[in-house]
Amino acid sequence: MDRRRFLQIMGSALAGATGGTLLTPRTSKAQEASKHREFYGILVDTTRCIGCRRCEKACAEVNNLPIPDISEQTNETVLQNIRKTTDTQYTVINPYDTEKGKIFVPKRCMHCNQPGCAAACLVKAMKKRKEGHVTWELNCMGCRLCMISCPFDIPKFEYDKAIPLIQKCNLCYGRFLKGLAPGCVEACPAEALMFGTRRKLIEEGKRRIAQNPGKYVHHIYGENEVAGTSHLYLSAVPFEQIGFRMDLGTTPYPEYSTGFLYAVPFIFVLWPIIMLGMSRMTKKGGAEEHKEATGHGEEKKQGKG
Amino acid sequence: MSEISATPEIKNVRDFVRFFIRELKPRGKIFTPFNVITAPIMLLGLVLIVYRFAAGLGAVTNLSQEIPWGLWIGFDVITGVAFAGGGYVVAFMVYIIGGEKYHSIARAAILSAFLAYVFYAGGIILDVGRWWNIVNPMIGREFGVNAVMFLVAWHFFLYMVAAGLEFSPAAAEWLGMKRLRKILASLTLGAVIFGIALSTLHQSGLGALMSMAKGKIHPLWYTEFIPVLFFISSVFAGLSVVIFKEMICHKVFKEQIDEEHRKSFPDIIVSLGKICAVVMFGYFFLKVMMFVHDRNWPYLNTPMGYWYLTEIIGLVLIPCFMFVHGAQTRNLPLILTASTFTMIGIIMNRLNYVFIAYNWQIPVFEKYYPTWMEFVITLTIISVELWVYRWCVNRMAVFRKPPEWAIEKH
Amino acid sequence: MEGVFTFYDIFATKGIEYLIIIAFLIIIIAFWKFVNMRPY
Repeated sequence: MDRRRFLQIMGSALAGATGGTLLTPRTSKAQEASKHREFYGILVDTTRCIGCRRCEKACAEVNNLPIPDISEQTNETVLQNIRKTTDTQYTVINPYDTEKGKIFVPKRCMHCNQPGCAAACLVKAMKKRKEGHVTWELNCMGCRLCMISCPFDIPKFEYDKAIPLIQKCNLCYGRFLKGLAPGCVEACPAEALMFGTRRKLIEEGKRRIAQNPGKYVHHIYGENEVAGTSHLYLSAVPFEQIGFRMDLGTTPYPEYSTGFLYAVPFIFVLWPIIMLGMSRMTKKGGAEEHKEATGHGEEKKQGKG
Repeated sequence: MSEISATPEIKNVRDFVRFFIRELKPRGKIFTPFNVITAPIMLLGLVLIVYRFAAGLGAVTNLSQEIPWGLWIGFDVITGVAFAGGGYVVAFMVYIIGGEKYHSIARAAILSAFLAYVFYAGGIILDVGRWWNIVNPMIGREFGVNAVMFLVAWHFFLYMVAAGLEFSPAAAEWLGMKRLRKILASLTLGAVIFGIALSTLHQSGLGALMSMAKGKIHPLWYTEFIPVLFFISSVFAGLSVVIFKEMICHKVFKEQIDEEHRKSFPDIIVSLGKICAVVMFGYFFLKVMMFVHDRNWPYLNTPMGYWYLTEIIGLVLIPCFMFVHGAQTRNLPLILTASTFTMIGIIMNRLNYVFIAYNWQIPVFEKYYPTWMEFVITLTIISVELWVYRWCVNRMAVFRKPPEWAIEKH
Repeated sequence: MEGVFTFYDIFATKGIEYLIIIAFLIIIIAFWKFVNMRPY
């Protein structure tokens, strides 16, 4: 290849690229940002939860999981301890002794606006759906990075199976597509769970706080934590008293990895050019380097410059 | 045993198969201590590996919902890859900045790195729960380009190719394929440059995997610059392993090493020691800077604080000065000791990120410790890798000089 | 509007970025050969 040929190729490539970009429709950053997505979620009013655990039972029924025993006697024992969600229980009710008495708090996936689990997934098995649900699919590799990346430690892995799944609440995505509310919401007798668009849930949360300022702490947990979640909570007492972490910040978790990810193209461009330069600066980089650099073998070294 | 077989004439696949089968015959003593110890481990490991696939991860490991990554990811993969860093650092020194003095150790370092990736990064298949989907990041229906892990997975594969290419001239020499060797040798610079860029990104990428574990990793270890720390420590981790392996191989394979190499050896080790010392010194200061910037003072006077000090003073700063003293006095055994301490420090550092300083606040009964089965499988993988390494060294020009026809004229 | 989360996909360009890198690495080989050529 000689210089003229090289320039010809580069020229046509450049023309093609320019023409291509002029023809494809572009969305500006502002236009992109204005694509509103209405996420659905659940507002949990912990002042209303009575700890009956009917949501746990309904969730198990809807998802073909082992049905928990929620008789009054069993509940008395079970509700002595703080539990975590497991690979067979997507949602649990936890008891907290506070200054305003015993408060029951349902715990399940927070369906974050910008989920760390979805950002961590290298095969897009964990996804944030456009309706807000964070779901898991079978193309998963089982690498468990989603578990590490979740600030709420929600995804659970089936270690005891040879064909394991990752288990967590999916906000009843299947039911949603059929126009049904999540199992837990339908089963709650105390109207502690409200299902709707995030916008409506936050408006409702603020309305309840405004109408009963003495009853609630003036904060909706999940409104801004980790850049917002679709699972939102109201509380009568400060949230740290009912098991919520207050140190998670408002940065979306995926943004902790984007710095590195943006450095990738920089390194891939800079390292080769720096190293090509360095290998040229040092006269000998080994005979292979000579051959590679001169491109057409050793005969050039004789005589001519 | 110090003679390679005469350059074979391989003209077709049948020749190759016959040659290969002949080469599979063991050389040297069968019942060496190394063989006697590793063979039963490998047999037991094989059984356990089959059991792991049949019964699931829980049957063989102590991994839990609180600690999803343990010995295999923490040690085999993450530490193993850090240890393999010698490959790209030595390749940089020899091929990019023309450090001819290190040429004699280049092949061993590159072969070590190549095998390390094949077995340790390849060993990931044991740890992923849905291992039949392990090809999905390459040929699946969706590519998680948002994921650090996507990058790491692809890089592991690409680096195996790059390191394999860097080593391939030696394999071509072994097969006596002169033209193939020439072609492969011409690709070396490109493979080296590509390999170094890849290494930089996946060494740091392994650290970046933990970026979203903010709040679960103890503040003395968590920083937004974990990737930088992992990359820099991979430099002295890799070189320490190179020093360690070289000093052992010089005894084990001594009949392969010629006089010229034997004479230059102390210089090489001393130089590598000095490089380690300088990089570790810089690394230590980076950790101090991050400590000050993140205002971590209150954490020092806690159990995790003492553990942190053990790591950065006992296993970074002290070996750094051991390297310095060893280099000044040309004390090879001291440099070897420094390398050993450095390697232990790297193991501790990586394991901290994976399960010690990760979710450090969980109650003791929930904490993770590996099962004996995890240990056996880890030792199996290491043993198999060393057997393959030894096989290559005994048949190819790794420590020996290459055959006459292969030596380039400068 | 309270609670509307304006979803800005921070990873939208990642796929293209990777493709650009691959294109660069291929082009740089040709470019390096070009730089080292003797003009005819």
